[in-house]
This record gives sequence, C-alpha cells and structure tokens, in this order.
Amino acid sequence: MEAKGKRSARYRSSRLQRANYKWIYLFLLPTVLIFAMFYVVPIVEVFATSFTQWDGFNAPSFNGIRNYINLFTSHSFLTSLKNLFWWCVIAMTLHVGFGTLVAFVLFHRPRGWKLTRAVYMIPNVISAAAWAMIYRFIFNDDIGILNSLIRIFNPDFSVDWFYVSPWAFWSVTFTWLFYAVIVTLIVLGDLLNIPQELTEAAHIDGATGWQLIRYVHLPLCRSAIGTSIICSLTSRIAMYEQIALTTAGGPDYQTVSLPILLVNAITDYRYGYANAVGVLMFLIGLVILWVVNRLFRMDETDY
Amino acid sequence: MKLVKKGASQALMYFVELVVIVLSVFPILWVIMSSFKTNGEILTSPLALPTSFSLDAFIHLFQNYSFPIYFLNSLLAAGISTLVSLFFYAMGAYVIAKFNFPGRRLLFVLFTITLLVPGHSKSQPIFSLISDLGLFDSIWGVTLVYLSAGMAMSIFVLKAGFMAIPKSLDEAAIIDGAGFMRTFLLINLPLAKSALSTAGILMFLGNWNEYYFASLLTHSDSQRTLPIALSFFTSEFSYNYTNLFAALTIVILPGILLYVFAQEQVQASVAATGIKG
Repeated sequence: MEAKGKRSARYRSSRLQRANYKWIYLFLLPTVLIFAMFYVVPIVEVFATSFTQWDGFNAPSFNGIRNYINLFTSHSFLTSLKNLFWWCVIAMTLHVGFGTLVAFVLFHRPRGWKLTRAVYMIPNVISAAAWAMIYRFIFNDDIGILNSLIRIFNPDFSVDWFYVSPWAFWSVTFTWLFYAVIVTLIVLGDLLNIPQELTEAAHIDGATGWQLIRYVHLPLCRSAIGTSIICSLTSRIAMYEQIALTTAGGPDYQTVSLPILLVNAITDYRYGYANAVGVLMFLIGLVILWVVNRLFRMDETDY
Repeated sequence: MKLVKKGASQALMYFVELVVIVLSVFPILWVIMSSFKTNGEILTSPLALPTSFSLDAFIHLFQNYSFPIYFLNSLLAAGISTLVSLFFYAMGAYVIAKFNFPGRRLLFVLFTITLLVPGHSKSQPIFSLISDLGLFDSIWGVTLVYLSAGMAMSIFVLKAGFMAIPKSLDEAAIIDGAGFMRTFLLINLPLAKSALSTAGILMFLGNWNEYYFASLLTHSDSQRTLPIALSFFTSEFSYNYTNLFAALTIVILPGILLYVFAQEQVQASVAATGIKG
C-alpha cells in the first residue's frame, strides 16, 4: 500500500513537472541571463583577448603570447607575484592560525565569548574602502594611534608606515592579518558539529585538555581549515582596496597586487595586457583551489 | 600543578578575547570619537576623548557637499540591485530546489562555482559592456553590475531554504487549483522568508560596501556612492581631519547598524558560505 502510494506520487509529480517545463525555463531565464552576461561572456572575452593587442577603440589584433611575455619580464608583475606569494604564506599560517585559535577559544565558551564573536564580525561588515582609510589614519604619522602610543615612550619617534620600505608591506598586511572572523566562524561551525560521544570517549581514554585539542578536535576540523584557507587565499588574490587607498602599490611596487596592475592597464587602455593579468588571476585561483583540496583531503568525510 | 595549568589556559583565553575585541572595536570607536573633536584636538591629542560634543562636521558635510546624493546613490544601487536580484535568484533557486529537469544539477554547479571567479579578472569586459550600454558614469550601470554580485551565495542559501519547505504544501495548493506562479508567490516565497532575508542582507551589505566596480564605472561627482566619495575626500580635505572622520562615520555606520539588527543571520550565513560581507 505504501509502495503504491509512493509510486503514484512520483508519477503525479513527474507528469506535473512535464507540464511545467515552460514555467521552469522561464523561471531560470533571469539567472541564466545574468550568468551569461556577467560570467560566461566576460570570461571568454578575457581569455580570448589576452592574446591580442587592444586599446579598446581599434579592433583587437592577435599578438600571440606577447602580453604574457611582457608580464613575466616586467618588474611590477614579478614583484606582485612575489607579494602574492608572501601574502599567501602569511595568510595560511598566521591569519588562518589566529582565526583557528579564536575558534578554539570560543568553543570553550569562556565568559564573553558571544560578545567576542559578535564584535569580531564588525570589521567585515563595513566597506573595505572605509577600513583601508581607517588604517591609513591609524598608521598616520601626525595623528595616528600607533605613533601616538609610541611617542608616549619615545617623543621623537616618526615613521610614515605606509610610505617607507620595508614597513609599507607590513602595514598593508596588518590591515587584514588579524581580521580572520570568517576562518573563526567556519572552524567553530565544524567544532560544534563534532559528536559529543567522541569527546567523551577521548576523555575516558585519558586524554587531557591539550591532547584532546591536538589529537581529536584539530584533525576533525581539517576540512574547515582547508575551506578557510581557500577563502582567505582567494581574498589575497583579490586585494585591491586596502592597497589602492593606502600605498597605491608603492614604494617602488613593494605592495603592488594583481588587481592594481589590472586597473592600471585598463586606465592606460592596454586591454589585452589587462586581460592577461585577469587570466593569470583566474588560473592562480584554480591552482590554489586544487592544491588546498589535495593537501587537506577535503573530499573525504570523517564521520 | 593542574590548577596552574587551568589558570594559564583561562588567562590565555581571556587574552585572545581581549585582543579580538580591541582590534575589532577600537579603530571604529576612535573614528567615531574623532569625528566629534575639533581639528586642533585631533592634531594635539589624537587619543584623548573629545572635550565637547559637536555635530558640526556632519552638518557641514550634508550642507556643503553632495552627501545626500552619495547616500541616495548608495541606497539606490545597493537596494534596487538587491531587491531585483533576490527575486530573480529566488525564481532560479526555487525551480532548482523543487523540480526535476534536464540540466538541473549542472546549472546549480555552474551558478555556485561563480563564487571562485575573481571579480577583478572580469573588469575589462564588464567595463566595456557597461560603456556599450551607454551606462558608463551612471549609477544604473553600477546597479546592473551589482545584480550579478551575490549569485553563488544567494542560489546556495535560497535553494536550501526552498528545499526545507515540504512538497506536500505545493501539492495541496495545486489540488486547490493554484497555478505555478501562485504556488511560488503565495506558498513558497512567504515560507522561505528567513533564507530570503539572509541572502538579501548579505547582498545588500556587499553592494553597499562595494568599491571596486563603483570606482571603475563612475566618474562624475553626482554618480558617486559613499565609499567612492570617501576616497575623493582624502584629497579634497587633506588636513581637515574632523570632516574626514565624520565622512568615515557616515559610511561605516549603516553597515554596522544593519549588522546589529541581523547579527544571527549574518553570522550563520557567513559561516555557511564563507563570504566576506
């Protein structure tokens, strides 16, 4: 009786669906249009015109891998790759490490954990442009918080953090380094999903606090850490506001990023070159995704 | 020994909490506080509390600069794009969640994988597209681009929302004679309220704060959104710090207020999708 009911329900819904195809495709139309207009066409265009010389007025003319050769022989591009590499290293270690530490702290619910979780999100809900400006003032030589604090001890101190080497790189890094709330929330989510029995079993086996964290909890949020690394590395590739509004890539390209180069190329009407940068951003993103996926064995489940 | 260890880990936990709170709140409090100080106070004692409470900077900004216009532009671009795309993505997510049709799985993967495409890499084609449509240097061009911004996250969140609505409700509605459109509008949309508000809040926050495309696609003063206006202010005011801090306050406050009202939703959805707001 039950099986029969199920079958007839399936039959009914499938007939219903066939009659609904017109509606289904109509409903998908807006999303598909947006997808085509803002994803498919632009991506194809970026790949195709990255092999051309193009100023946006005249028709693009094919020039093979000229743009890529120019890129890989230019000081600014190589510096931006070097920066990206170090930012990725810092993101994977210090940034994700700090976010994970905060997640473990919150997981133990010390007093004030809810408040901490709530306010940690604030830097992420305000405009990245505004955040960059705020840090520009914090590191400002005349009125900044940092130098005002240092001058309490050393009245003659004066450094314009965003404009001199090597501090510019570290100042830009500091604007995101400890703001790892996404990492914290993702890892905390996984920690809260760990079955209670597992923790209890470990306790019975005699695991103490640190051992529990090191051998049970940490390995179990492996895939959450992998996800947060992907999120954070994706943001490293896309770093724009916190550079454009502070150092603008200087001094001497020491804080330059791929989006900065891309925008400069667009404003110079070197569209082919700009799109070659776009293609490389795209490919670097894919490589990172693949590597992190393999590294953290993210397609395997634990339970 | 055990007690010492416990005390040490307690101390470490409070220390981490303190660091997080100071790093997240202090810069913002400092900005808001400084917007009430005079320029002289900011220069001589940057860390001190304001000696008097004055809203002059804010009044000055709204009277002498196009701040109401920037505000309106931000509101239009973020609000309209969020409302329209939320409806579009709800339509798409609804049929993906509730119906079987060829290409269903493929479309879902394609829509959500857009999350991994670096937005900046598509700048030139989008710049050209908006120029060709005659929408360069218009807030409507920016609005159009924002339509595409939250696609992956919205489809993801909304699909889950629609899937949680029992199919028996649809069937009951159909038996009662409701058509496709009515089942969607009157049964499913109201029941997916929480998914809709989650996706909507995240999209609105993202678009309200957006800087990159707004800076690329606008040029003249009358089309600027708040974040763009802010970046132009630095050069214009150069040494009037009070005005700069007031401008910063105006730009950051709405996002923070929205977050305060929708805290749980923002946190839950960020954790689920890993997206920067």
